[in-house]
Order: sequence, then structure tokens, then C-alpha cells
Amino acid sequence: MPGMHRRALLMSALASPVVLRHARGETPIKIGMPVALTGPAGEIGAQMRRGAEFWAKHTNAKGGLLGRPIELVIQDTGGDPASCVRKAQDVVERDGCRLLFGMTLSSEALAVVPKLAEWNAVFMSSDNGDGRLTGSSLVPNFFRANTSGPMGTRAVSLYLRQAQFKGFYAIGMDYAWGRNSIGVFKDEIQKAGQNFIGDVYSPIGTKDFSTYIAKIRQSGADACFIVMQGDDNAAFLSQAKQYRLPDKVQLLTEIVDLNSIAATGDASIGLIGSSRYSFTFPGAANAEFVEMWKKEYKTVPDTFEGEQWQAGQVLAAGIAAAGSIDAEKLRVALEHVEIDSIKGHVKIRACDHQGEQQGFMVKVVKKEGAAKPTPELIATFPADRVTPGCGKMTYDS
Amino acid sequence: MRTTLAVAALLALMPLGLPPYAMTLLTEALIMGLFAMSLDLMVGYARLISFGHAAAYGLGAYTCGNILLHTDIPLPFAVLLSGLFSGTVSIGVAWVCTQATGVSFSMLTLAFAQLLYAVAFKWTDATGASDGLAGIPRRPGPFGTTFFASKIGFYYLTMACLFGGFLFARALVRSPFGAVLRGIRENEAKTLSLGYNTRLYKIAVVAASYMLGGMAGALYAPFAGFANTELLFWLLSGQVLIMVIVGGTGTLVGPILGAAFFLFVQQQLSIYTDSWALFFGVIFIGFVLFAPQGILGLARRGRPTEQHR
Repeated sequence: MPGMHRRALLMSALASPVVLRHARGETPIKIGMPVALTGPAGEIGAQMRRGAEFWAKHTNAKGGLLGRPIELVIQDTGGDPASCVRKAQDVVERDGCRLLFGMTLSSEALAVVPKLAEWNAVFMSSDNGDGRLTGSSLVPNFFRANTSGPMGTRAVSLYLRQAQFKGFYAIGMDYAWGRNSIGVFKDEIQKAGQNFIGDVYSPIGTKDFSTYIAKIRQSGADACFIVMQGDDNAAFLSQAKQYRLPDKVQLLTEIVDLNSIAATGDASIGLIGSSRYSFTFPGAANAEFVEMWKKEYKTVPDTFEGEQWQAGQVLAAGIAAAGSIDAEKLRVALEHVEIDSIKGHVKIRACDHQGEQQGFMVKVVKKEGAAKPTPELIATFPADRVTPGCGKMTYDS
Repeated sequence: MRTTLAVAALLALMPLGLPPYAMTLLTEALIMGLFAMSLDLMVGYARLISFGHAAAYGLGAYTCGNILLHTDIPLPFAVLLSGLFSGTVSIGVAWVCTQATGVSFSMLTLAFAQLLYAVAFKWTDATGASDGLAGIPRRPGPFGTTFFASKIGFYYLTMACLFGGFLFARALVRSPFGAVLRGIRENEAKTLSLGYNTRLYKIAVVAASYMLGGMAGALYAPFAGFANTELLFWLLSGQVLIMVIVGGTGTLVGPILGAAFFLFVQQQLSIYTDSWALFFGVIFIGFVLFAPQGILGLARRGRPTEQHR
């Protein structure tokens, strides 16, 4: 097979002789996954890939979906929307995928979704934050199983209602998700009658944040909301520590992930933020998932690995209900999917294809004797408080 | 002319036998072919080496993207308008750039393209900044037809643009105007002393080149349904220059073949390795050293009579 070197073809059925007997002769369900494996978002894409591979392997070991094994067709987009459109087109037209995962950045997803109808393909998002994807840019074949940017931001703002800060500043990555989340945050803060001082955006891939940090310090704010991920997030947090920003300003973030904590070490201690997924979340389903993950990878699952697993479970439930992967049938089935997931109850809404789910707030702490800091759950908000109204990105109360 | 018609007929039959994926690749190859051919007008006929031809492509793509997103103008007209707009803007650019010659000219074209790139990053309303313009539709029409909005119809539109552009460019270089261009290429001082205002000629050829390059970009926007700053980036300017050189400069047909060759090799190599550009670099060096006339030169080596036809 010519694509073998590049495309990580996952035929886990091969690993298990028992399943092989059942699955032999059945055509695989191909899921295309154009994902950022290189570039500033490469670490997030790598998490998404691991999550998808683990999910596919686990599902195949149980006999696949509809008796057919899952095959992932993974392509690197480099985090560039133009390249993502091309790669998505490749996996659909060349490899015959009718289901899509991946598209690490919201800008990539926003570029691809208008094409879904033409391809007759369904895209299940596991990490796209931009609220517009389930709002003004919603297309019938797009579904979002993950916590969106507005939902993460909402959790932070609900938490802040109990806290007292004189003024807020915000810094975000300069693209769809960063601007969308900060817009929602500003709206929330101002509605709560608090003081929003200003915002600033850094281009994707920024290495030196000194000027941004100076701006935040001089603003007089005592709390700063961060909308960053991947390398940018890690660079910002460690430089903020060097400039002693956390001494003056409480850092709040939309996404707490283990990767940034590992990259910044003790610099992340004290960071408060919403978490889309953490291995520390409560519940038996999550405990079981973490154990399975540990057995496979010898470490705990990170944010987007958990989110990707959940997206896989939502998709699997939809396919099982539809009895088909045909976009038209699958779409109808997915609109009524409800599952008990590692993050609790998840319900896909028919009106805007957003997965209703709980919101979590965590604080990064270092427990005595622990080698590195971990996120500790400090608050949980019910799904109906963090999920915005249908097709909306802002909240009424 | 007979060869042109034969090739056109062959390309017109392609949709009958090719699967959708191959049609996508072929359409992109024709778009890049038009783009590379437009640069050849400058590089091959007037020795105006542009390092910033992505400016033409990006301008065309953003213009067409905005026209299609915000108006009801039918697709073919949007493409033409975008080409004209790109050509018009380039008159100003050329006026500045032709103040210089040689390497300085190349640097100025690069600087202008990078300037546009920077503007595109900040001008969110028109370009969507780093998110780009998404969901660019193929508007139906003219006269109520939805043909050009379909995959195959769009292919024929691209083909028509390429052949129209080719016939236009060929007429241009075969005219007295083209003779003056070649005069500039061979000896600008002499051409100047013969009484030709060479700078005006250069500005005119840049405008023609940008118009065709803009049309290529304008086709790309509805082809991909998407446009972002990558289309203005120097990397694309470098790639199209490579297509022209590999295909054979000063031939119009060569760069079209060069573009197809570039896309084909990129497609094939990228299946095996992520560092396809490295291997393409070796191929490029090979062409420069051993086949400076490019692919077309290689093809004609066996048929020396063709050269003087």
C-alpha cells in the first residue's frame, strides 16, 4: 500500500486474531483525520491522534462498528486551514472516507465545514472551540462532542462571580478561537458589572511574549484571562513566571491541559481555569478509562485524548443507532444521541449539534510528594448553565 | 494551432474517464498552469524576474472570494473581474518596481507581495486575517445556468480560462509588442535607443501578467472554497518561479507543463515522505544544470525543427 509510510493506518483488528475472524471480509469504516501534527498546534494534534487510535483499537477489539473494523486515515495539516481543506479533500475523494475527525484549529474546521455537504461526509469535532461552528457557521453535517470555547469561558465566568477582582485583562491567540472566546468572556464580565480593561492577541506561533506581558502588567488588572493552547500556551506561562506576572495578577485560562503544565513545571501552580477534560474528573467511567489508558501508554490521558475518546463514543452511538454510516441517516441518529461519558452525561442537541455537558473548573496544585503539579477539580457546573442557547455564543443570565 | 486544439479536445474528454479525485488534481493543475504561464510573460519574454508573483494570485483570490461571498455576480464574471482588478492594481506596483532593474526589481516585487501579505493579516474584514475566507460559494449563472457551479462545469471553466489566457498571451508575444519585449530581454539599452519607452512596455507586460495570474487566483478561491494568507506568501512566489523554470521559460506552454509536473511530483513524493520539498529541490537543481530549457526543451530536443516553427 503506497500510503503506508505516511498515513498511519490503524487496523487494530490485525492485532487480535479473534476479532480478525469476525471482521474478515467486512469492508472497514474509514475515518479521515486531517490533523495538525507539526507546527505550534502539533502537540494538540498528537493528543487527538493518540485519542483516536486508542478509541479505534478499543472499538475494534470489541468487534468494530456494525461488525466492521475502523480504519483511521491520518494526514498532517500543519495547522494551516488551506492545507487542511486539501488534506480533507484527499481523504474524502482519494481514500473514500465519509466520516471525519481531527482539524485541530477552529480556523481549519471553519474552512472545511462548508464542503461537507458536497462530500456527503460527517465531521465529529473533538476539540474545535469557536462558537460559530454551532452558530452562524453551522452546517448539517457538523457535530461537536467537545466543550466549546464559549462553554469553557462560561465556566470561568460563573466561577468568577464568587471571586473579587478589580479588573480583567485578556490575552488570546490571534485566530478564530482566541477572538471568539475573549469576545464571550468580555460579554460575560461586563454583564456581571465587572471591569474589563482590555485585550490583546498574539499571532499563532509567537515565541517571545515579553511585550504582551508588559502590557498586561501595566494595565492595572489583577486578573488575566488566557485563551491559548499548545506551544504558545507553554511559552506564555513560563515567560509570565519569569516576569513574575502571577505575583501581581491571577492567571485564569480557558484550557488547563497536562501538556502545558509539564512544559512549564511549577510556573503553572496556582493557575485557575476551566478544563475540557482531566484524568482527575470524578466518576467510575472516567476511572475505568484512565486505567485502560495507563495500561496502554503508561501515563494518564491528557485533555484532548479524553475529548477525542468522548467524540469517538458519541460517533459510535450515532452509528449504532443509524445502523449505517450514510450521512443522511447518521445525521438524524446523531441528533438524538445521549451517552454517559467520561465527562458525565452528554446529549447532542438537534438544534445546533452541540454536545450538552458539564463545565469543570480546576486549579493547578502540587500535592506534597508529587513529582509535578496536577489539576484539581474546584467547581462543577451543570450542563444547562454552561451550554449556550441554541445556535448562540452568549448567555442571558 | 492544431496542437492547441488537439490538447484542448483531449482535456475536454478527461471528465468522462477520470474519478473525482483525479479531476480535483487536474483542475488544480490547470489553475497552477495558468498562474505559471502568467509569470512566464514577465520572466520568459522581458526578463523581469518576479519574486512576488503570489501577489497577483492572492489579490485575485481575495477579490473573487469577496465578490462571491457578498454579491450575486455569476462565477465566470467574478473570475474575470478579479483578473482585471489584479491587473489594474499591478499598474501601480509595476510603476514603482520598474524604477529598478535586475535583482533590485526582483526584491521590490518580493517586498510588495510581503506588504500585501502583512496587510491581509490585519485587514480582518476583507481577508478574515489568519482564519481566511471560508465557504466561498460558486455562484450560479450567467443566465440561470448552474453548470459552472458543478465539479465538471468548474473544470471546463478553468480550462476555458487557461486556453483563453494562453491564446491571449500567445497573441501578445507574437505581436510587435512582443518583439519589443524580446528586445528588452536581449538588450534593453539598445531597445531604448531605438526609441521605445521600455518602461511603459514593462509596465504593460506586468499588468497583463498580473491579470492572468489574478484570474488563476480567482479560480482557486471557489475551487478550494477557501482563501487565506498562504496565497500571498513568498513560498508560493518561489514555487511558481520553479514551475516556470522547470517547464521552460519563454515558451508559455512549458510553464503549464511545469506546473502540472510540480503538482504531480509533489503529490507522489508526499505519499512517501513529508520532506518532499527536499527531493523536489534536487530535481530542480538537476533541471537547472542539465536541462536549462526545461521540460519543453527536453521534449523538443528530439525534434529540432519544432524550435523554429
